[in-house]
Amino acid sequence: MSDNNYDIIVVGSGPAGSSAAASAAASGRRVLLLERKPVPGVPVRCGEGIGHQGLTLSLPPRPEWIKSTVTRARMVSPSGIAVEVGNVDKSYILDRERMDADLVKTAVEAGAEFRASSPVIWAEETPSKRYKVIVKVHGDNIDTYNNAINNIEFEASCLILADGVESRLARCFGWDTALRLEDIETAAFARVEAEGIENDCCTFYTGSAVAPGGYLWVFPRGVGAANVGLGVIGSRCRSGLPKELLLDFIGRKYPGGRVTDLHCGGVPVGRWVKPLVRGGVMLVGDAARQVNAINGAGIAYSLYAGRLAGAAAAAAFSGESFCGKALLGYQRAWAKNFGKQQERSFALKEFVMSADDAFLDKIADSLSKEPPGAVSYLRVFMRTFSSRPLLLFKAFKLFR
Amino acid sequence: MMTIVDNDKCDECGTCVSVCPANALVIGAGLTVSPKECTSCGICARVCPFGALSVRQ
Repeated sequence: MSDNNYDIIVVGSGPAGSSAAASAAASGRRVLLLERKPVPGVPVRCGEGIGHQGLTLSLPPRPEWIKSTVTRARMVSPSGIAVEVGNVDKSYILDRERMDADLVKTAVEAGAEFRASSPVIWAEETPSKRYKVIVKVHGDNIDTYNNAINNIEFEASCLILADGVESRLARCFGWDTALRLEDIETAAFARVEAEGIENDCCTFYTGSAVAPGGYLWVFPRGVGAANVGLGVIGSRCRSGLPKELLLDFIGRKYPGGRVTDLHCGGVPVGRWVKPLVRGGVMLVGDAARQVNAINGAGIAYSLYAGRLAGAAAAAAFSGESFCGKALLGYQRAWAKNFGKQQERSFALKEFVMSADDAFLDKIADSLSKEPPGAVSYLRVFMRTFSSRPLLLFKAFKLFR
Repeated sequence: MMTIVDNDKCDECGTCVSVCPANALVIGAGLTVSPKECTSCGICARVCPFGALSVRQ
């Protein structure tokens, strides 16, 4: 066996890929974890928010991953009516750089081999029913498609694609993962240092002037700092709009504040990809569109799906022989535990997209008259539907 | 017509890659457009959060 042969290759070392690599390597398989960037998790393209349940479901969180603990949420309507939501489940704002680095470390400690600065530009099945990935080595000037000089090839029986929203490798195996413009939030992410940031409250701003077909979030990140970001639905986006809207908001809301980081990224808000498994290839995380479509949250799903996929990959081996059928357990477990929930979030997103600014204002206005502390997410939901009974009927159909 | 990448503006986030119907965009070292696949449809430019893509005559 040459050095470039593995049992399992994982492409992408975000939370999904690292979790998959760790759980696959823990059972003694030969695992290669590939990352396109020099440092995993950098830059962060994420609001970094996660619920207590979602985080603790898959692993014991480390205190050093948590920048802020949040117990309150506020929603601000298009015309500026603020509604405080009480009884919010404890949530965290994470240090993704730190967490992603630690998750890679965990995978390496479990026995996985890690290669950074290794973008995979192509993948295919070999005549011997294995999978070959081609990694582009930095520093060359060759044509990405045709010229193999300086590229390195790796082979494995099983391939786990955790290559993010920008995943194009799935297309090498017959998946059509191109997102509709209605199913992508095009986002800009900033870190802001400014006075007056509340350390225990997440604030969400809505409205077509702030974030058309999406929302703007302010998540506290330690003392006097916050993640401020927004998503614009692809169908209402134009080139450069998310960045313009975000910098405009920051300029108005935090005059004198300092933007320490500014990045962009896409958040898939469609349905999860079916099937998740083809032959010996699996999709996990953003690549599989395993994201809550109503709020864009994906870390908890990724940690969970990654672990499932890695375990399924390891279980598909018996000695040197590999049986792809065993991978189907991954899709079954995902569908049963989170697939339905994800589809519900998608249905709800489709509904929310039909709401205009006036409707959001009306809901906010009626909720703002409630006594403080009486507003829960459930009440927001009920109020929304009680003012539009026909939609409740529609929603029932979607939720079935 | 061709799709142009402004590398000074591009953050290599891959939002464009996720919507490209022709699979013409690749992030290796930097973002590149394959002229062979690209149909100049402009969807990539429309969703780019930083305005780094444009379609020119």
